[in-house]
Amino acid sequence: MATLTAPSGVGRSRVLTRQSAASPWRHVDLSLVAAVLALAAYGLLMIYSATKVRLDEQGIDSTYYLQRQAMFVALGIGVMTVTTLFDYRMYRDYAVLIYGGTLALLLLVLSPLGAEHKGQQASFDLGPFQLQPSEFAKVALVVCLAAYVSTLREGVDGRRMLGILGVAGVPMGLIYLQPDLGTTLVFGAILLGMLLIAGAPARYLLALVAVVIVAMVAVVQLGVLKQYQIERLTSFLEPTADTQRSAYNLDQSKVAIGSGGIWGKGLFEGSQTNLSYVPEQHTDFIFTAVGEQLGFGGSAVLLALFSLVVWRTWRAAALARDIAGTLMCVGVLAMLTFQIFENVGMTMGIMPITGIPLPFLSYGGSSTLATFAGIGLVLNVHMRRFT
Amino acid sequence: MTTDSPRFRLAALGVVVLSLFGALYARLWYLQVLDSNTFVAAATSNQVRLVYEEAPRGRILDRDGDVLVDNKRSQVIAVRKAQFNRLPDAQRAAVKARLAALLAIDEAELDKRIADVRYSQYKPVPVAEDVPEEVFIHVREHQADFPGVEATSISQRSYPNGTMAAHLLGYVGEINDRELAGRKVDGYRLGDTIGKSGIELVHEADLRGVAGVQKLQVNSSGEVLGVPLAVKEPVPGNDVQLTIDLDVQRLAEESLVQGLEAARSLVDREEKKHFLAPAGSVVVLDPRDGSVLAMASFPTYNPADFVNGIKPDVYRALTDPASHYPLNNRAITGQYAPGSTFKLVTAVAAASRGMIFGKTTIVDQGSYTVPNCRGEKCSFSNAGGQSYGRVDLPRSLTVSSDVYYYTLGARFWLERSKYPNAMQDAANAFGIGSKTGIPLPGDKAGVVPSPEWKKELCKRVRCVDDRWFTGDSINMSIGQGDVLTTPLQLANVYATFANGGTRYEPRVAARVLKSGDPGTVVREEPVTEAGRVDLPASVRDPILQGLRGVIDREEGTAYYAFAGFPRGFPIAGKTGTAQVRSKQDTAVFAAFAPADNPQYAVSVFLEEGGFGGSSAAPVARRILQGIAGAPPGPIQLGTGTD
Repeated sequence: MATLTAPSGVGRSRVLTRQSAASPWRHVDLSLVAAVLALAAYGLLMIYSATKVRLDEQGIDSTYYLQRQAMFVALGIGVMTVTTLFDYRMYRDYAVLIYGGTLALLLLVLSPLGAEHKGQQASFDLGPFQLQPSEFAKVALVVCLAAYVSTLREGVDGRRMLGILGVAGVPMGLIYLQPDLGTTLVFGAILLGMLLIAGAPARYLLALVAVVIVAMVAVVQLGVLKQYQIERLTSFLEPTADTQRSAYNLDQSKVAIGSGGIWGKGLFEGSQTNLSYVPEQHTDFIFTAVGEQLGFGGSAVLLALFSLVVWRTWRAAALARDIAGTLMCVGVLAMLTFQIFENVGMTMGIMPITGIPLPFLSYGGSSTLATFAGIGLVLNVHMRRFT
Repeated sequence: MTTDSPRFRLAALGVVVLSLFGALYARLWYLQVLDSNTFVAAATSNQVRLVYEEAPRGRILDRDGDVLVDNKRSQVIAVRKAQFNRLPDAQRAAVKARLAALLAIDEAELDKRIADVRYSQYKPVPVAEDVPEEVFIHVREHQADFPGVEATSISQRSYPNGTMAAHLLGYVGEINDRELAGRKVDGYRLGDTIGKSGIELVHEADLRGVAGVQKLQVNSSGEVLGVPLAVKEPVPGNDVQLTIDLDVQRLAEESLVQGLEAARSLVDREEKKHFLAPAGSVVVLDPRDGSVLAMASFPTYNPADFVNGIKPDVYRALTDPASHYPLNNRAITGQYAPGSTFKLVTAVAAASRGMIFGKTTIVDQGSYTVPNCRGEKCSFSNAGGQSYGRVDLPRSLTVSSDVYYYTLGARFWLERSKYPNAMQDAANAFGIGSKTGIPLPGDKAGVVPSPEWKKELCKRVRCVDDRWFTGDSINMSIGQGDVLTTPLQLANVYATFANGGTRYEPRVAARVLKSGDPGTVVREEPVTEAGRVDLPASVRDPILQGLRGVIDREEGTAYYAFAGFPRGFPIAGKTGTAQVRSKQDTAVFAAFAPADNPQYAVSVFLEEGGFGGSSAAPVARRILQGIAGAPPGPIQLGTGTD
């Protein structure tokens, strides 16, 4: 029988070519699917527990956010499934179209057609929903960069690296204009991860990192950022300056997580959560609801689930049949890892505060759909590793 | 495997990802396991706010239990500035509009009330007091529409008798930084009310009570959730019962005001203009234990002006010199030359040292010339220029012969080896020159001049000569020169004489009563002896006879002022007219009654009020007439030259 369990370990893909392709559907990475579904369910529980008391107090249906997020998850599963339907190499071939479409949306959202929320021109208002093109642009960038790099036969030298930077730079610039610093940084992480695997010379990568750091410092120093952005970004460096609003957010976030202790205060028992001490708790700061209510145990389980997803993604990258597939997986891996590390890190005070959702956990339609799409891409690469 | 191989690079990426997750786990471990206790404490204090409620202050009662200072509860709509000003502009404007409509005032007026400088940021600013029940309830029931606004009931000082005894009672105000500095241990907080003067200040610890605390659960916006976690009700302050008799106090204040008014109708013969009589003071003591029965000072102020902080223009008026310092309690802080009322002291000094006896007479020919004198001023005349002929001790007081006392004063100095320091000792024994010990802030000591005192003084100020001359003793003998007493001191001098020589520390507070249970005495304020004056009958009787003559005998200086006074209530007293440099004379009168069984000692000072017999004595007469149980009637000015 050709249906063996999925091979494990880097490099075995090449010796297993005899495992030719029956249906790709027989090679779906079920553990990745299971982990993702578990995370989405975890997210629903957390969003419900983080908003229930507050909504009750306001006299609103306490399942308001839960219902909406459940719908987003259902849609996300649909998007994930659809993404796996078509061979990822087809996406590679249509990369130019995807790229053009993404740029068009990013331009459009900056036009009066886009809507402004909390100082960001980042979404389209579609009735009761908001569509954030930058979330989808992340996945689109992964596909487009993978496609572009896979066409380069002679590897990545300095000149070609500039080309890659150009491809990524245009959407990054547009997103920065919204202004959405967090998503811009996610793009940077995706770019860096993919350049690394694409074989860009190490010294160029180091130079790129250096340039980014210098640029960040310059941006802060030259006042390109708004004051609140600088404060949010730097407050983690001086946690005692608790008078600042941003440091207050961070303090409350740390208090919520820290006070959870080993086993947490129990669902719906978190005082920080129930009394709305943590800002944006069902979106960017959802991890504090986990930390406070379910403690170190619950947080560790959550991180373990994330680790599982990241590991399966990494493994898919290693097993991929071609460079395009590897790069797609790496792009999704970089996106997920950066978002997880930045988001969880900021709630614990080891990373600057920027508005980045925690994959599967944070409330939000666009980010949920885009993340599922990314996982769909990984599943796609993984299930077609023999075809 | 080279650094360029995809496998190596994937492995490197894996290591990076692993270490990032490792960092998250490590941080999580630190926050939730190692340092969790810190955050548990922070989370607990986060949700709990302690809201303090000041206890209602204790009341201040008179000796019969009549309420002098009370509290009134008032339903107010107040704005918490800290919270209100933090609202987003649009919301704040909406709340303001709603509130203005509810209170039926325009928004500009509301703005003005919110911005009232009298209120600190620590206290909610009342924008409407004594609001109708339906307004009060509306705000409570629609609290969500009024963030930063509260309907609350506050306890404020109220003064059922208006300005009555204002100086004695004092006023309250918001604690300032200086006052707070030493009192944090006593549980004072910014925004607290504290006694600023008078009884309110001295008995702060009794009156204050213990603040109540509510432990409230609040969310991050400061909104209160559910019922309080714990409530400690405030413990009201204890009541302070004074020795003051409200009826006597009222008599004293009315009489003082009327007396000053009447004095202004008199013409100063020296300056050819009406007396200004801008200010004055009256003290009534019980000679039997030093209890203050009344203490009046004019001009006065309204302690209610200080409730919730005094308005700047009102305060400016109160501290303007042109208003004659209404905040000063002249009864204890005013230092005046006692004039001829001091003759009591001189007489006691001379009689007890054996310089004179009851029968000793001095011939008063209208002036006294210092023996062997070669100075500018060697001759001293009677104030009115009269001559009284042969004068003995009783008559010297009755007619107020200056020459009699000039003679004594000169002899005290000229025969100082025989009568060393006689006048000074007597004055000190009667309590002049030292604080009376009355438990009120600002009590002044007065001055008893002496050769040493003059030398010391001349080190500080320019003197013609720093030596003591016979003239100094002569001036002192009639309460001029540099002798200064407070009205309280003078009343106490006469009280001491009246009771046979026991000088008490004047007391204002009789006892502290348990709040809400006036039957329970928390503490009795002691009666304290401050000293004794030796007054054998040989000394006391002729002096008493002379003091009674002041009122009873037609040649007495207060005879006309007391004309028609009810019989059966004998009075002993002495007039005084004190010269003050660059001012009109101070009218002084001191007395005690009933003369044979003294229960009241009175002193009256009218600044720039003319003769003691014509202006001051009638004030005392009106007070004593009321005390004697007769209708006090209008002030009847006396006549006289002293």
